Amino acid sequence: MDRIGPLLVVIPAAPLISAVAIALLAPRLLRGIREFPAFLTIAAFGVSLIASLLLLREVTYHHDHVGPGSPSFERVVRLWTWADARDAYWQRPALPSDDPRAESPIEGGSRDFTIDIALRADALTATMLVMVTFISTLVAVFGMGYMQGDRGFWRFFAYVSLFVFSMTMLVSASNFLLLFVFWEAVGLCSYLLIGFWYGKPSAASAGKKAFLVNRVGDFGFALGLFLIWTTYGTLDFHSSARVRSDDGGSERRILDSLTTVPAGATGVAWGVLSRDAESYRHGAIGLAICLLLLVGACGKSAQFPLHVWLPDAMEGPTPVSALIHAATMVTAGIYMIARCTPLFTASPEAQVVVACVGGFTALLAALIALTQFDLKRVLAYSTVSQLGYMFLALGAGTFAGVTSGMFHLFTHAFFKALLFLGSGSVMHAMGNVIDMRRFGGLRKVMPITHWTFLIGCLALAGLPPFAGFWSKDAILGAVHDRAHALSGAHAAHDATNLAAHGRERADDGGTRVVEPGEGVWTLWTPEQAAGVYQWLYCAALLTAGLTALYTFRAFFMTFYGARQIPPEAGGHAHESPAVMTAPLVVLAVCAVSVGWFLDHSYQSDPSYLPGGRASSGNVLGDFLGYAPQLAGGAIAATRTPGRFHFDVAAISALIALGGIAFAAFLYLEDRREADMASAFLRFHWYRRMLDADSIARIRRWKSVDAVNRWADRLRLGWLARIVGRGVLVVVWVVTVPLILTQFASPYRLSQDKFYFDEIYDWTMVRPLRWIADLCAALDRWVIDGTVNMVGRIPVVTGNLMRSLHIGLLPFYAVSMALGVLVLVLARTLWGS
Amino acid sequence: MNERELLDGYLLLGGLLFAIGLVGFLVRRNLIVMFLCAEMMLQGVAVSLVAWSRFRHNWDGQSMVLFIIAIAACEAAVGLALILALFQRSRTLDVAYWQDLREPGQSRRVDRGVPEERREERIWPRLTPAGVMPREDQDKNKETHRARV
Repeated sequence: MDRIGPLLVVIPAAPLISAVAIALLAPRLLRGIREFPAFLTIAAFGVSLIASLLLLREVTYHHDHVGPGSPSFERVVRLWTWADARDAYWQRPALPSDDPRAESPIEGGSRDFTIDIALRADALTATMLVMVTFISTLVAVFGMGYMQGDRGFWRFFAYVSLFVFSMTMLVSASNFLLLFVFWEAVGLCSYLLIGFWYGKPSAASAGKKAFLVNRVGDFGFALGLFLIWTTYGTLDFHSSARVRSDDGGSERRILDSLTTVPAGATGVAWGVLSRDAESYRHGAIGLAICLLLLVGACGKSAQFPLHVWLPDAMEGPTPVSALIHAATMVTAGIYMIARCTPLFTASPEAQVVVACVGGFTALLAALIALTQFDLKRVLAYSTVSQLGYMFLALGAGTFAGVTSGMFHLFTHAFFKALLFLGSGSVMHAMGNVIDMRRFGGLRKVMPITHWTFLIGCLALAGLPPFAGFWSKDAILGAVHDRAHALSGAHAAHDATNLAAHGRERADDGGTRVVEPGEGVWTLWTPEQAAGVYQWLYCAALLTAGLTALYTFRAFFMTFYGARQIPPEAGGHAHESPAVMTAPLVVLAVCAVSVGWFLDHSYQSDPSYLPGGRASSGNVLGDFLGYAPQLAGGAIAATRTPGRFHFDVAAISALIALGGIAFAAFLYLEDRREADMASAFLRFHWYRRMLDADSIARIRRWKSVDAVNRWADRLRLGWLARIVGRGVLVVVWVVTVPLILTQFASPYRLSQDKFYFDEIYDWTMVRPLRWIADLCAALDRWVIDGTVNMVGRIPVVTGNLMRSLHIGLLPFYAVSMALGVLVLVLARTLWGS
Repeated sequence: MNERELLDGYLLLGGLLFAIGLVGFLVRRNLIVMFLCAEMMLQGVAVSLVAWSRFRHNWDGQSMVLFIIAIAACEAAVGLALILALFQRSRTLDVAYWQDLREPGQSRRVDRGVPEERREERIWPRLTPAGVMPREDQDKNKETHRARV
């Protein structure tokens, strides 16, 4: 009938076949054909890419033909049923509540626990699929050149294929459990690829670290899933209905965009993400679900406080850093939260938390990135920072916020993959040296890498024509609007709603503020939240400046300044081969064009889509608006005609320009200014003020000398001594900060990543190790000791009996005869 | 002779056989003699079983004796094979030789060895290979082992 089903199957199937074929064939059978894994992988990814583009076309076609009543489109394809437990869920019918919005009615009665292998096609999935397959195809091409001659050549491509399979399944799963399974699968691939060079201890431990930190997040995610199950009684995204067919047999049918109960339906299960907006849980349960999901997203997307694994993950091969740890896998958390928008809109406090986590992480990571010398580490922290931006956008909780977050995800994938592949190209030429202090002035050596890297940097910094500008501006605008809307709504609320809802508010004591189109605020007033968003907006602007600064610091240190090439390069540093530069060029073209190609808000008046909905002025945003999670419910009520925020754009562009100019001032020509700045931020002036030289200089001052002599003459030496002791105390008070400045000067804080690794080491890792040691000792001495003692009983008894074993047969015979005699006597004397 | 006296006689015989066997088993050190004594004890038990069976008009005892005889035959085969093997290792039938198998750290209990066999007494049987007609000894004058037993 339509091609969506086969396409959805082909997209993950091709990489899976490639992974299995490479793992089975390459190491043994086809050892002679060195390039076989690469070609197979590229072919499979190409098939997936074409299928994704066709799927995008299908989805667009359906969008153009949706009925006026249902502005959303989704298509769910059920492959088979994985698990099916009858009557697994039972809940009392909801009691009639005073406030229907506070306690949403959950369908009573029993419910089956049914997990389908169900794939879905909608706007979000199609967007993610195109992005993932496109980037992975380019990275596979790049990897063919980069991994040339590596012993694990086939292993690399097998892992990457497996990753793309898992990632495409993750974004097309239509079920929380399936999502979780592939959430773990991408984590596994990430672990395998970080520890790809497992012979290197740092790589092996980085892989373990990534895996373990992700476990923390996944634990939260799993708890969130349990809570969703007990709250909503299903794990499906989509609604489904069991419809009895005409021939009498009962069959289960999944209905797309189910909005009403169909005729003849025997059991309707409203999906978690496609139910009526009124039936979402507010209050503590809703908040808990959202926060647990957020913990999962923080783990996968490297947000504070679980951000520590991503920079270490750069131990993996650079194409992997580009594909998994910059463009695709780390955006799974963003995708998940965007997908769960209905849950988050039901709990505005959770959105504030998401925004705070995102804004704080963005600022923190940008500060750390300022002082790192490892080129890939700078990029890794920039990834963390940009992911923080996306969380901030999702936390804004409006339609514009969610779509701008996804938009930034989309553009970021291109320019961050470009930057990582560019750094891989530099590493390739520099003989795997990645420390920026050891090379420089490479712009003549590697012209293509230089120009494409420049484009990536400009996009990351957010200068107007480049991709990053549009998405970053959209995020800033969304946060700005949200802050204004909240403070405005509060004022309007007092004025109008008091009259209209006066009776209701009097009934429930006026504790709850209910806004149409807004969630239910229970912890904070909208006014307080507006203040939070205002602060986050400022933090985001500051981060924009820092982003430009650290990006161009890395750029200038790598490509400008005195030409310097490390000896590891072997004296033949050169531009990378075409198989590596071609993906760079393609990605650079995307990084230039994808922003203004998709965002039209600057040139058109607010327009309206078919169905009377406001256009956001962004092609991608309008497209995503058809996803059922964004098309209806509370989120749709926040939809406003998109307008270009000239003020926000101008401010952010100016700040970015300022950051670039400052970076140029510090790092372009000689690095004297940079050294001075770093010395200043290390509090060198403070330390110099207190060393012996400067104190001696103070004593030589004429005025001090004069005061001394004057005091002696007036026999006031005791006064001078008291003053001197006072100065001593002051010096002591000052010395403590002096010691602190060794560790806590801004420069050291940034360079040592705010000591997060050390803090976690002392608060988590070491106590856990102590507990483990204690358990090991208990096991060894108590449990094993008991067992060993039981085992020693026969030995002791045997030693006692040993003297009887004299090896003389007659002796044994006599003993036996005497024993029998004793038995017989006993039987005769005492027997019955 | 009534049944009761008959029983008494047989039981006395069985008891004597058992007692002789037991004493022989305990006091002799020659493996083969010890083995014979063990057989004797077995036969004493068998005799008393038959006697009781006869006395009580119950065939269980006699049928059990048939089993005992059969098993004693097997046991004799196994036991003699073991004795042969032991002899081939130690070149002696003295059971005290095997007290070397005692637990380490124990002292020897029997230090008085059996009297050495004189060299001229060592006349070994010549076993005929299977499937060949036994030949008469060529030297009629020389003593054979048969003459000495």
